[in-house]
Amino acid sequence: MSLLNSDASGMDSSVSQMEKKKVDIAFKSLVLDAVIFWFLALSVISMVGPETEGYIDLQYYSFLSLGLLVVGGALSYVLQAKAGIKTLGQSVFAMPQFGDEQSQTAWYLSFSNWELALAFVFALKSGIAFTDFSLIEIFDANGIEGVKRILTGILTPDFHILPRAIEAVVQTIFIAFMATVLAVPIAFVLSFLCAKNIMSGNSFTFGIYTVLRLVTNITRSIEALVWAIVFTVWVGVGPFAGMLALFLHSVASLTKNFSELAEGISDGPVEGIKSTGAGPLQVVWFAVVPQIVLPYTAFAIYRWDINVRMATIIGLVGGGGIGDLLIEAQGQLRWGEVGTLVIVIAVVVWLMDAASAYLREAIK
Amino acid sequence: MEPILQVRNVEKTYDNGVKALKGVSFDVNPGEFLVVIGLSGSGKSTLLRCINHLHTPTGGEIHFKGKNITGAKGKDLKEVRKKVAMIFQHFNLVPRLSVLDNALNGALARTPTLASIFKQYSDEDREKALEYLDLVGIREKAFIRADQLSGGQQQRVAIARSLTQSPEILLADEPVASLDPATCHTVMDYLKKVNKELGITVVCNLHFLSLVRQYADRVIALKQGELVFNGSPDDITDEWFQTIYGEQAKEVHIN
Repeated sequence: MSLLNSDASGMDSSVSQMEKKKVDIAFKSLVLDAVIFWFLALSVISMVGPETEGYIDLQYYSFLSLGLLVVGGALSYVLQAKAGIKTLGQSVFAMPQFGDEQSQTAWYLSFSNWELALAFVFALKSGIAFTDFSLIEIFDANGIEGVKRILTGILTPDFHILPRAIEAVVQTIFIAFMATVLAVPIAFVLSFLCAKNIMSGNSFTFGIYTVLRLVTNITRSIEALVWAIVFTVWVGVGPFAGMLALFLHSVASLTKNFSELAEGISDGPVEGIKSTGAGPLQVVWFAVVPQIVLPYTAFAIYRWDINVRMATIIGLVGGGGIGDLLIEAQGQLRWGEVGTLVIVIAVVVWLMDAASAYLREAIK
Repeated sequence: MEPILQVRNVEKTYDNGVKALKGVSFDVNPGEFLVVIGLSGSGKSTLLRCINHLHTPTGGEIHFKGKNITGAKGKDLKEVRKKVAMIFQHFNLVPRLSVLDNALNGALARTPTLASIFKQYSDEDREKALEYLDLVGIREKAFIRADQLSGGQQQRVAIARSLTQSPEILLADEPVASLDPATCHTVMDYLKKVNKELGITVVCNLHFLSLVRQYADRVIALKQGELVFNGSPDDITDEWFQTIYGEQAKEVHIN
C-alpha cells in the first residue's frame, strides 16, 4: 500500500527516507568504530597499566569506557568526514555506490582492513589470556597419566551395569516424551497469542502478545538445568523434577518456534475463506491450520529428540534417568561403568536423531 | 431498475495514514459486467475489499439490494459475504485441500462449524460444487490437491468456490494479473459465462485496457483513490486513457 501516493508527496517521502537512511548508516558506522576503538584502547591500558589486585573498579572503568567511546566516535567522524578515510564501520554498513572507486587501493593500504586486523589480533590476545590457554598444561605428564587411566576405563566398559543403564535410558526417553507431549498443546495455544500478525489487531491483544512474549523469552533464556534445580527442590529429586524442567523449557521453546511459523503463514487462504462468509473458527480450521499442522508436527518431533539429549544432562542435577547413573558412576570413579553409560547414551541419541530426521523428512 | 449495489462517498484511510479511497460513488446494476480500471495503487483492490468488508470503510456508505451494509458485523456480515463472492489475483485457495474441498469451502457459511470441520457437507452442496467445477471445465481434477494445478486452473477452482456460494455479485480482484495471456482469456471467458448464463453481477478489477474493451459492459476508473471515469468502454479515448494512466502511458494489447 506504500505505492498509493505515487505523486509528488511520494517523491518527497522517498527523498527524506534516503536522508534518514544516510543518517542511520553514519550512526551505525560511528558506533562500530567507537566500540572497536574502545576495545583496543582498553586492551592497551590493561596491558601497560598496573596489575590490579582483587576486583576491578567498576566505576572507574565505566567512566573510562564512556570517555573512550566518545573519543572513538569523534575519531571515526574526523577520519570519515574530514580526512575522507573509509573506516571499518563505513565499509560494513554503507551501501556501495555505483561507480565507486573503492577497489582502487591495495588491500594492505586500506584503513578499514588494518582496523579489522588489529581488532582481531587484540581479541585473540585477550582470549588467550582469559582462557588461561597453556600448552604446558596439555603436555603435563601427570595429566596425561590421569587421562590414560580414565580412557582405558571407558574403553573397557563394564557391562554389568547394562540392565540398569537400559532401564535408566528408557526412563530418560519417557521423561523427554512426557515433557514434549504435555508442552505441545500449551505451546500450540500460546503460539497464536505470541504471533505478531494475529495479535497486532488492537492494543489489548497486542498487550497480551507483548507480555506473553516477554514471559516465554525469559523462561527460555533460563537453562533447563537451572529449572531442574528449582524443581528438585519443589517436587523432590527424581524423574518428575526432570520432566517438569524439560516441560517448562519446551513450552517456551516450542511457543517461539510455533509462533514464528504462525507469523509466516500466507494471508491468501485466510482472505479466501473469509470472503466466503465463513465463521472465525472455520477460518482458523480451513485457512490457518492446514498451513501449520505439518511444520508444527515436525518441530514437536524435533523437540522430543532435543529433550532426550537434554534429559541426559538434567539427570546430572538429580532429574532422574541415565544422567543420575552417570553422575553416580563418575563420582565413585567407576570408569568402566561410565564407559557403558556413554555408549548407551550415544546409541540412543544417535537413534533418536536419525529417527526424528527421517520422520520429519517423511511428513514434509 | 434498482441498482444491486450502491457505493456512496466511500473512504478508506489505512492505519498508517494512507488514504486509499477518497470518497468514491457509483452504482452497480443487476446482471452487469462492471470493470474497474486504474494504476496499481489507485485503490481498486481496496474498493473491492470495502464492498465485502474484508477491509472496513472509514467513511461513506455501501448499500446492497437497498440495505445499508456499512460496518456490518457478525451475522449481518456473514449474510453479505454469502451473497457477495470474491476471487483474487493469487487465487487464495487452500493449497493442501483437494479441488473439490476447495470448491466446497464456498458452502462454509451455510454449514454448521462442527459439521464443516468433519467435512459433513450436504449432498446438495456436493452436487453443486461438482456441477460448478464442471462448468469451469475442471471436474476431472476434483480429487487432486489444489496446489498441483496451474495458475489458470486454480483460478477456475476459485470461480467454482465462489459459485458454490450461490452469490448475487462476484467481485474479481485482478483475476488474470498473474496468468499468461492465453490462460487469461480462458478465465475471462468463464467470468463472462458466469455473468451471462447464471446472471451473476460481476465487478472486476483489471489493468489491461484491451481486456476491458472485450469484456466490460461498463467501466469506472480510479486514480489516486478518486473516481475519474464512469461510462462505456468505447468512450475511453486516448485522452481519457492518459488521464487515467498518466502522460507517459501507452496502450498495450495482449492477444
